Amino acid sequence: MPVFQIDGEPVEYEPGEKVLSAALRCGKIIPHYCYHPGMSIVATCRMCLVDVIDLGNGRPAPKLQTACSVDATAGMKIETFNQKVEEGRKLVNEFLLINHPLDCPICDQSGECTLQDYSFKYGSGKSEMDYSKRVNGWRDIGTFVALERNRCIQCSRCDRFTREITGTNEFGMFNRGHELAVDTYTDRPMTNKFQGNMADICPVGAITEKEFRFKRRVWKLKKNHSICTGCSTGCNVTIEHDRNEVFRLKPHENQNVNKWWLCDEGRLTYRKMNEKKSRINQPLGLIGENLEGISWEKAYGAIAERIRELKPLPQEVLALTDTHASNEELFLIQKLLKEGFSSENIFCPFPTWEQSESDFFINTLITTDKTPNRAGALALHIKGDQKNKKLKKVIEGELKVVFVLGNPFENELEFKEIIKRTQLVIHIGVFHNSWSEMADVVLPGQFYSEKEGTYTNKNQRVQSTEIAVKALRRTRPEWQIISELSQALGHKSSFESIPQVFNAMVQEAKAFTGISFDKIGSFGIELTKNTKDPGKKVVPEMTAI
Amino acid sequence: MLEETLVLFKNIRNPKYDKSLAGYKKTGGFKSLKKVFGMKPEEVVQEVKESGVRGRGGAGFPTGLKWSFMAKGTGKPSYLVANADESEPGTCKDRELMLKDPHLFLEGLMIGSYAVGCHHAYVYVRGEFFPAIKTLNAAVDELYADGLLGHDPLGSGFNLDITIHTGAGAYICGEETALLDSLEGKRGQPRVKPPFPAVSGFNGCPTSVNNVETLACLPFIFSDGGVESFKSFGPQNNSGTHLVSLSGHVNSPGVYELRMDVSMKDIIYEIGGGIRNGKKLKGVIPGGSSSPVMKADEIDVLYNFDDLAKIGTMMGSAAMMVFDEDTDVVKLLHRITRFYAHESCGQCTPCREGTHWSRQIVRDFLNGNGSEEKLKRLDRVGGNMLGTTLCALGDAAALPIQSIVNKFPEEFRNYYATT
Repeated sequence: MPVFQIDGEPVEYEPGEKVLSAALRCGKIIPHYCYHPGMSIVATCRMCLVDVIDLGNGRPAPKLQTACSVDATAGMKIETFNQKVEEGRKLVNEFLLINHPLDCPICDQSGECTLQDYSFKYGSGKSEMDYSKRVNGWRDIGTFVALERNRCIQCSRCDRFTREITGTNEFGMFNRGHELAVDTYTDRPMTNKFQGNMADICPVGAITEKEFRFKRRVWKLKKNHSICTGCSTGCNVTIEHDRNEVFRLKPHENQNVNKWWLCDEGRLTYRKMNEKKSRINQPLGLIGENLEGISWEKAYGAIAERIRELKPLPQEVLALTDTHASNEELFLIQKLLKEGFSSENIFCPFPTWEQSESDFFINTLITTDKTPNRAGALALHIKGDQKNKKLKKVIEGELKVVFVLGNPFENELEFKEIIKRTQLVIHIGVFHNSWSEMADVVLPGQFYSEKEGTYTNKNQRVQSTEIAVKALRRTRPEWQIISELSQALGHKSSFESIPQVFNAMVQEAKAFTGISFDKIGSFGIELTKNTKDPGKKVVPEMTAI
Repeated sequence: MLEETLVLFKNIRNPKYDKSLAGYKKTGGFKSLKKVFGMKPEEVVQEVKESGVRGRGGAGFPTGLKWSFMAKGTGKPSYLVANADESEPGTCKDRELMLKDPHLFLEGLMIGSYAVGCHHAYVYVRGEFFPAIKTLNAAVDELYADGLLGHDPLGSGFNLDITIHTGAGAYICGEETALLDSLEGKRGQPRVKPPFPAVSGFNGCPTSVNNVETLACLPFIFSDGGVESFKSFGPQNNSGTHLVSLSGHVNSPGVYELRMDVSMKDIIYEIGGGIRNGKKLKGVIPGGSSSPVMKADEIDVLYNFDDLAKIGTMMGSAAMMVFDEDTDVVKLLHRITRFYAHESCGQCTPCREGTHWSRQIVRDFLNGNGSEEKLKRLDRVGGNMLGTTLCALGDAAALPIQSIVNKFPEEFRNYYATT
């Protein structure tokens, strides 16, 4: 790759790349507002000024250049930090601030506002503007975001977002000159499913998330990298939490999955992470007629004892799981059945799902499959579908022991009627549901945000999650529960950690061959073998206007 | 006595001239086009380069050179757009041409289209020019009826359509990239350059945007012996005649066609007939409101691109605004800053904030709230806009502020000394 120099250091660039993009890639700090790597370049904020001391032909540029619009060329020399640059930025910053309200203490962007950051660096501390500031007022622009136009610095990122990213064109710039303001067309509220991104890309506090604002100051939030489990796309997110409460999900850049974006539906899954009411908060066992709290040891002991009594044959054991479970959990429960009961009766629902196809990439982020790990289950050759003949046969035969992981087949009342009559039903799950009501033993699992795990997305990419918040005291991650349960049943294998389970899975499951836990990294890794998904249907996305 | 040199105004100055197609043909119209159709497009561009004609819209960029930058072999169509969005305060030359001799301009447009290989030329007319729009449309209809436009005019095998497009009243749409955005149906806002329109212009295709007067020069250049006589009308690098829009406190304001080697003094005192009511001259805005102001003692200079640039100002669109000793330059500056604050598109920071802020400061002086500090601030705000914006509007707003503040500071001081 050709090379040019930034502050005396050689930097490689792709032909056609802009100076700012190359500089940011190598960790240089150049203040900017209107530039966004995912959108077109307008070069209007004029903040990313740099000094081009050599254009590549031995001559300097006559004046300061905006780094976002200058093409990098071989032999070019750039200074991102000298007195001339500082002064240039200072004057642009002054212009930006004269009409920007200095209400940082009550502004929700405070702490993650680039205008605030750069004003500390380049602001003068004293304004020479002695006229009243421009007032454009707030506008109600949609369900998900709030718009306070007084704070707007007219960078036009939001305008470009609806034009270039979602293609919905519902947002735009109105009036001109000093009165330039953003708004929706014909006063209609926005309808696109990605409004939250507008709050992310807004460099100031003009657009903020209604769901989050005024709940917590951003500098108090701790951040953990994770993935969104709202659908099978597996967008990379940052879980932002404080005092064990999750406040919001923000997209985390991953060019292979979601680029910079996240849908509003995905953002709202944070609510489920704080859900306490319907959580199963301790192991429960059927004592007499009622489920009562018991200890883990007692639960495992009781299960082991009962299974020893029942002595189930392979066809008398069944495990039902949903695709919310991680790869490791699916693998372990499969292994439990195989090792303990020589049974392969593990099933999960695979309803057909739709993948939209669109000229606008962002529309392909939302799928109708609202579980994160369908591809993982398929890769592990777990069979499924309520109409599956084998499943029907198993259900209609003699059943003695049923394991239920999560909430599979929730609408299949017939199944439930049959399984209810089974002698031992073990439910492992996070929330109370109809399965936990009919179970003999209920083992409380943990939610995505509370445990580690890997998930395989619709494009066969394996991605891992981190522990963000602490789980309830008497719950355990599902993979640990299954591992402990198999030990209680006297099986050989025992696992201490997720990497260990993952690497064992790589050994045993063909689809995962060639990867290891370390290779997943923060951007995930694609499976080498593609598993066909018969339930996938590609539909063209009609962009709503 | 200084007189006009009639090239572009040859017909307009003839009181018996019939501006219809028949009338234009009688005066030798479309002979140049016929000649051009016999040449290769590259030869036409070369000839225009030779003539040294420079863009009359304000920047003075050599037209032939501009055309030679047009991207070739891209597989995309090329476009020629005539910039008839004449809205620089003080300028009214293109209106005269379009209104009184539309066929001269349209012939020039056709020659230009042939040179750049354009098969659909556009005329972006300022929306307020209702009579000119009417005349142009009528003239284009005549050309189609005569077979000079459309399929295979004059048996040349070259197809050409012309569309007259009206603007919606924004000064910024006179900037070529904003004009193209507006022509595409978008908000008229200047684009980031590069890429220049010659590479990616109208609908992403190679485009040349030329001023009406520039195009109107072409029929003369391609007449017999045109290049030599065109070059003889002015000093080196400033060839041809140009239309000077003389306005302000002169006895006979108007649009005059002059050579490029005439001094400003002569224009004001001989062509313009001197200052109204026998007053003394205070200053001149030499090239439309965006050019730096000149004081009365600076006007002994040749009125062309290079000589004005040498003394730190510019000829721009050759709109000379003369003001006499009674003129209040603070009010003048207020009017100018008001104009730019209103016409700034607002997309880039220094211009959006600076034009409005400078207007507020000048208004303070008029309201008796001026101070030495504010005078300095005004100069600083103007300077901060200069050269920091995306397009030239920021410079256009900054130059008059800086020149007036620095050349007439005592007038500002009078405002706050007396109140």
